[in-house]
Amino acid sequence: MLLFRQFTFYLALAGFAGAFLFVRQMQQKPPAPPPFVEPARSPYAAHVAATGILEAERENVKIAVPKAGLIQRVAVQVGSRVKTGDPLLQLDDREARAKLNTLRAQLESLRAALQTDRVMLADAVDQLVRAEKLARDKVISDDERKRRDFAKQNWDARIAKDEADLKAMEAQIAQSQTELDVLTVLAPRDGTILQVNVRAGEFAGTAPLEPLLILGEVEKLQVRAEVDEQNAPLVEANRPAVAYLKGDTQHALPLRFVRIEPFVIPKRSLTGDSAERVDTRVLQIIFELDRPAAPLYVGQQVDVFIERSATPRAARPDAAPASLTISQ
Amino acid sequence: MYHLALKMLLGDRAKYLMLVGGLTFATMLMTQQCGVFFGLLKWTTSHLSNMRAKLWVVDRKVEQANELKALRDTDVNRVRTVPGVAWAVPVYVTVQSAKLADGNFKPVMLVGLDNATLIGQPPVLLRGKLESVRLPNSVIVDELAVRRLSSGRAKPLDLGDTFELNDKEARIVGICRADKHFFGYPYVYSTYTQALQFAPKQRKMLSLILAEPAPGWSLDDAAAAIEAATGMKAYTEEKFFWATIWWYFKNTGIPIAFISTIALGFIVGMVISGQTFYAFVHENLRHLGALKAMGASNGLLVRMLLLQAFIVGFIGYGLGALLVVGFGRTAVARGEPPFMFPWQLPVATFCLVMSICALSAVLGIRKVVKIEPAIVFRG
Repeated sequence: MLLFRQFTFYLALAGFAGAFLFVRQMQQKPPAPPPFVEPARSPYAAHVAATGILEAERENVKIAVPKAGLIQRVAVQVGSRVKTGDPLLQLDDREARAKLNTLRAQLESLRAALQTDRVMLADAVDQLVRAEKLARDKVISDDERKRRDFAKQNWDARIAKDEADLKAMEAQIAQSQTELDVLTVLAPRDGTILQVNVRAGEFAGTAPLEPLLILGEVEKLQVRAEVDEQNAPLVEANRPAVAYLKGDTQHALPLRFVRIEPFVIPKRSLTGDSAERVDTRVLQIIFELDRPAAPLYVGQQVDVFIERSATPRAARPDAAPASLTISQ
Repeated sequence: MYHLALKMLLGDRAKYLMLVGGLTFATMLMTQQCGVFFGLLKWTTSHLSNMRAKLWVVDRKVEQANELKALRDTDVNRVRTVPGVAWAVPVYVTVQSAKLADGNFKPVMLVGLDNATLIGQPPVLLRGKLESVRLPNSVIVDELAVRRLSSGRAKPLDLGDTFELNDKEARIVGICRADKHFFGYPYVYSTYTQALQFAPKQRKMLSLILAEPAPGWSLDDAAAAIEAATGMKAYTEEKFFWATIWWYFKNTGIPIAFISTIALGFIVGMVISGQTFYAFVHENLRHLGALKAMGASNGLLVRMLLLQAFIVGFIGYGLGALLVVGFGRTAVARGEPPFMFPWQLPVATFCLVMSICALSAVLGIRKVVKIEPAIVFRG
């Protein structure tokens, strides 16, 4: 046929085919790339989502010294586990020890004096006994006997004073011992040393700018979950929850309800700018969790899902008016 | 007889090419202009193709992807709380100023992705590793950014190079391919918290929330649930796409400019081919008259003319389509000028070209039906 001899006919056919293929190619929309890390998903049918932070279960203890002084020894390192009464810090105790030694020497001296006076008393008693016998036989005068008697009474009184001095010295030694003991700072409770900010040789004041040591409980952690105040009515007490670490969204950390903080506070901003204006407040809920095998650190952020009872109205999308009241 | 019609058409090569050329021109003008127009409109939705997600949650009053109103940080958790939402992540998007080595500055589109999941990640990563974006001060830039931001440097920017983003140092750890933005801003990706460091502080920093419906929930149901529970606007990807396109259609002069060019293509094509075909018929009137004198019916002559007209239309359209496809493939490969080729476009232009042919044929047919066979003997 005549048409088939035309070059333009084949060009036109190529145009049709090209347009068809080009349309096919343009229709292919590349699929969305899979998330780099699978996002955290709630295991519950209905839940309240929150952002949480890991904390030590009890508040951290900022260890201080009872009196200003030079630090002689730091008995712990970061991460040391300590029990109640374990020594943490040793302040310079040379002066207190020297004083104690002096007092102890004085105590010995007092004891020696007492001993001497006891010997003198024994002598006086002996003389008195003989003097009384002689006085009965009228060998010596009554005056003589009385002087012996007073001499014995004198030594009795001296010994009583010596014993009182000894007691006073023992009390002074006990005081010095206490002053020495105070220079050793002991752990007020069981826990782990989270921070050490002093070294031996440094001076520790009584009101330091940063705590000398921080003692905390990291065996048991708690999660402080923050819920937008607009979602606060959805939070129910005694509901279980799960937390996911940022970056590990596959391992859920089961949480147990502890309490709802009764005071709603302004949200702390992620940017950390103190001048930032706050226009939202958050309800804080405390959960406790057991330490899992994976490492957890105090201060880490977590995504929290708190279970809530799925009312049939809230679960359906056509329940708009009921849930809209919450958002206003 | 149809063979005769073809011979009549193809016999005079110059006239045949003239006829086809008019339609080729019309096809090309209409299709190419439409393609560029659609492509330009698609550039307005580059956020959607560069950050893929099924649900886009924005402020209640947001009408299109390029005008976002900031949300509060806690709104992410409010969306997560909505039943029907499998997950929701925050995204930060704003235009920031990048300073170049020669002191010049260029606006860039800074995108901050959720630190943990990096959802909204660039579609195609050419070099570098995605997780490197979590390093301090790190960014992933697109190819356009490499071209734009390299001015004043001896070598183009590469992995490990730095530039100044809003007075802070940004280190390039990856180069990606991203669809171009309507305003020509290069895309610069970083993590959400890092983006907040780059950007000047504002009261509210969260631009939008990307979400996915829970299993068993349709996109529309999940979007409706989010809107009902939070009072924010939840668009599905497709709805946001069309909302953005329509916004530009209604609020800018771009459609008028393109529609007038397309109309011009149609009119010029119609006038040229109509006039040429009419002249063609007019010149061959004697032959047609002879056929009529030999006893050919009017119906046969009409069918012959229609055959000629549609063959011209078919060839002309095919050639035009070939040229447009060539242009379009080059444009798509280079990334500019904008070009988009939905199936409706070639189908619509084919119908228009065929209507031009039909109109031209009608002009000729009127003439042929009216001639008297005696004309052959007069001249």
